[in-house]
Amino acid sequence: MKRKGIGFYLRIYRKILAQDIKSKMSYRADFIISTIGMICTNISGFVGFWIMFRNFPSINGWSYHEMLFLYGFSLISLTPVQCLFDNNWSLRMYVYSGDFIKYCFRPINLFFYYQSEVFDIKGLGQLAFGIGTLAYSWGKIGIGFSPLILLKLIVFLITASLIMIALQNAAAATCFWIQNSFFVLDLVFRFKDYAKYPVTIFSPVFRFIFTFLMPIAFIAYYPSLVILRPDEIPLLSWLSPVIGLIFFYISYKIWMHGAMKYSGTGS
Amino acid sequence: MKLKKYISLTRAGIMDSLQFRLATFVMVIGNLLYLIVVYFLWKAIYASSGTDIVNGMTFTDTLIYLVLATALFNFMEMYTVWEIGRAIQSGKIVLDLLKPMEYRKYLFWSYSGSFITQFFFTFLPTFIVVSAVTHGAIHLGMNLLWFVISVVIAVSINYSIDFIVGTICLYTESIWGINIMKQVVVLLLSGATVPIAFFPEPLKTIVSRLPFQSIYNAPLTILLESSPDTKDVLCTIGIQLMWCIIMMIVSKLFWKISLRQITVNGG
Repeated sequence: MKRKGIGFYLRIYRKILAQDIKSKMSYRADFIISTIGMICTNISGFVGFWIMFRNFPSINGWSYHEMLFLYGFSLISLTPVQCLFDNNWSLRMYVYSGDFIKYCFRPINLFFYYQSEVFDIKGLGQLAFGIGTLAYSWGKIGIGFSPLILLKLIVFLITASLIMIALQNAAAATCFWIQNSFFVLDLVFRFKDYAKYPVTIFSPVFRFIFTFLMPIAFIAYYPSLVILRPDEIPLLSWLSPVIGLIFFYISYKIWMHGAMKYSGTGS
Repeated sequence: MKLKKYISLTRAGIMDSLQFRLATFVMVIGNLLYLIVVYFLWKAIYASSGTDIVNGMTFTDTLIYLVLATALFNFMEMYTVWEIGRAIQSGKIVLDLLKPMEYRKYLFWSYSGSFITQFFFTFLPTFIVVSAVTHGAIHLGMNLLWFVISVVIAVSINYSIDFIVGTICLYTESIWGINIMKQVVVLLLSGATVPIAFFPEPLKTIVSRLPFQSIYNAPLTILLESSPDTKDVLCTIGIQLMWCIIMMIVSKLFWKISLRQITVNGG
């Protein structure tokens, strides 16, 4: 099969996206309520955070605004998984009912086609919320601003987002082996709530686990050190883009491996 | 005779939930992970605050409170809103309405089986782990009995709230958005994310007047009290009972009125 270039995939993506948004818009009430629900989630997360910090001025040497920076950073880096990879949640249903087989017959990359079918607009509210939080804490901490630092921020945000995408892909792919992957997905989905805390609060054993086995420390902590503490950046922070790519690649391989051995339900 | 039909629903529920042993296993792991994160987070918070007691709660109090709140949440979560929403969308609700039992009761009792399995497989292990980790900080005496009574009422309140929210689905036909809104509001205002003792003043008073705090805050406060004053405990349970009755009546009436609204396509 001829390999197709990135331009080809972008063009297809745009077309599929337009279809998806059209179909979403036909359920307008559902769309509006879901968006409000998403905003509620973000507000309540923030209120919980605020109540906690009203009682404690700092945690483990991290001030309120620095923690807020981590929080905003994690919100932004968790947006791509929400917007672009939401179809992972339906994977177990397609696999169970046998509908998944339809994706296997398309002449384009299976993983790409499956994920591109759904774009979750609700996630954009989270993005706006995250950017607002980040900008606010950025100003309060008084970090300087330069094109270079912006570039760093963007690169690290994108690679950080790959971690959660990778975790979710791998969790969703378990349904090729165990049928009902909802609980695995839900477990992984809850990891994102732990990403906003500095990993230094954990004991060495769990610091190791959260860095290398369940790499949630790379969602916000390590990458944001590059911006927050420019004087003492650990090696792991610089490695975080590479680690993001590696984890994404592994999860892609797992997902495809599961999809390739899928044999349908016979109907 | 009347009891027999309920018990047979419970038995079916137990068998049904035992089918998903892997799901229970994953849930236990998820709870343990949450326990670890909460433990280290609040340990760091208390270490930075410099005092042992914040807002009348020690570190172990906070730990027990938050972990058991999550355990209670998992135990009480019945996915009622999803169940009602899906039954409405698929039209299955017609069959449920034809059953010789009130829909509200039918749904509750068919879930009661998973209450029992959830209690033994997730709540009890978490409870034992927490009391072991905190070296017997949970006082084992009369308060356990009050706690159980309080939890039973809390289950009923929680179910009524769920049922009301599920009824809203008859009008909106949106499940995800409604459910997520309910979830974040209940979790925040019931003290499951941050103990209500930490809330700032005006908010604390408002929250204590709402029904949500009767779900998690009331039983947990009773449990943590090492020398319970019978009058206080009875007062808390009295408030719970009041909310239980109010919510039950509201949910019944709301359902009755809404049933006239129902439209089921085809069939």
